[in-house]
Formats: sequence, C-alpha cells, structure tokens
Amino acid sequence: MNGERTTFYRDKQSAKLMGVCSGLEDYTGINAIWWRLAFVILTITSGIGIPIYFVLGFLASKKPAHLYVDRDEEKYWQRVRQSPKRTAREIRARFRDIDRRLAEVEHHYVSSNPRLSAEIERLR
Amino acid sequence: MEEAIVILMLFIGLPWLILHYMTKWKTAATITTDDEVLLEELYNLAKRLDERMDTVERLVAADNPEFKPARIVADRDIDNQPLRELDRLLAEKKGTLR
Repeated sequence: MNGERTTFYRDKQSAKLMGVCSGLEDYTGINAIWWRLAFVILTITSGIGIPIYFVLGFLASKKPAHLYVDRDEEKYWQRVRQSPKRTAREIRARFRDIDRRLAEVEHHYVSSNPRLSAEIERLR
Repeated sequence: MEEAIVILMLFIGLPWLILHYMTKWKTAATITTDDEVLLEELYNLAKRLDERMDTVERLVAADNPEFKPARIVADRDIDNQPLRELDRLLAEKKGTLR
C-alpha cells in the first residue's frame, strides 16, 4: 500500500548496530541519538527495548542507495510523512508565490510598455 | 461463574478490541502510492517553475532597470546561486555585444 518513499527503512550508512535508530531519524526527522536513548530507557525500565529493536531490524529492509536526489528532497519527504496535509498546503503556497511573481512581470509589461518607451527614446 | 467471565472476556472481548482498532487503523487517512506520485510531481513542478520564474525575473530586470522583483522571502541562498551564474552570463553577453 505504501510507496517507496513513505516506508520505513533501516539506514545502514549511519548505523550503530542495525540502522534502526538512524532509520527512525531518516523517517521522522528526530535525531537518532534520541531514538537510541529511548530504546536504552525502554530496555532498562521494561525490558521490551531490545525485542522491539530486533523485530524492527529484521522486518524493515535496507534503505535504497539513491532514493532522494538531494537534501531538500529528503527534507520534503520527511515533512510529507509527518503531515501530508501541511505539505500539500506548502506546495500550494509555492504555486501562489510563483503566480504572484508572474503577475508582477505581466503587470510591468502591460502597464509600462517598455518597448514603446524604448522606441520613443530612439526617436528623440 | 468468575471463570466463565474471564473466558468470555479472553475469547470475545479481546478479539473484539483488536479487530475494532485494526479496522480503525485501516480506515485512517494514509497516503497511497498514487498520492505519493502526485506529491512528487507537484514538488518537482513547483521547483522547476520557481527556477524558471527566477530566470524570467532576472531577464526582465536586466532589460528594464526600473523593474524590481518583490519577494516575500528575499535573498535566499538557494535562489542566489543559480542567479549569480545567470548574472555572469548576462554580463558576458553584454561584453561581447559592445
């Protein structure tokens, strides 16, 4: 059901053990050190930290090497996973911004007519 | 009597609870593969249009000095990097024309 950008992967490249915590960092955008700390605390307090870690480690597949083109795209998909609705709104805001800027250029050409003023300038 | 209640809870109540939350979880709003493709396309389109708009604004500003593109988020580094390149190319072009 999930596409390849919204599934959870183990991140082997910045892994300490199996890459579960760095994968969680990649998925959520919360630094891996907090996930590692959470697993340690879970293990100390209730003992379920290690089983959860290994279940995640064996169920999740490794992160494909070229999933994202650049850092911006990685950030973008992190935001999508956090809240698709907010991301859609951000995209809409970007389109509105482009529309506004295009309208400004159009307005400039329509109102000032630079070609005509250039012709007049040449005739003087 | 008490044993019956425990057995009833274990074999009817527990599966009921699990199935109830499973159906709730399945009907919750999640992104499908189609949504993901759509979001990817929108991201790339917005990025491309943004870059094109930067280029157009710079070209217009180069031809008409009185045109100043107003920006909400002015002077971003992500915009400035390719724009510097464009400025350099425009300067080179002016140099060769004269």
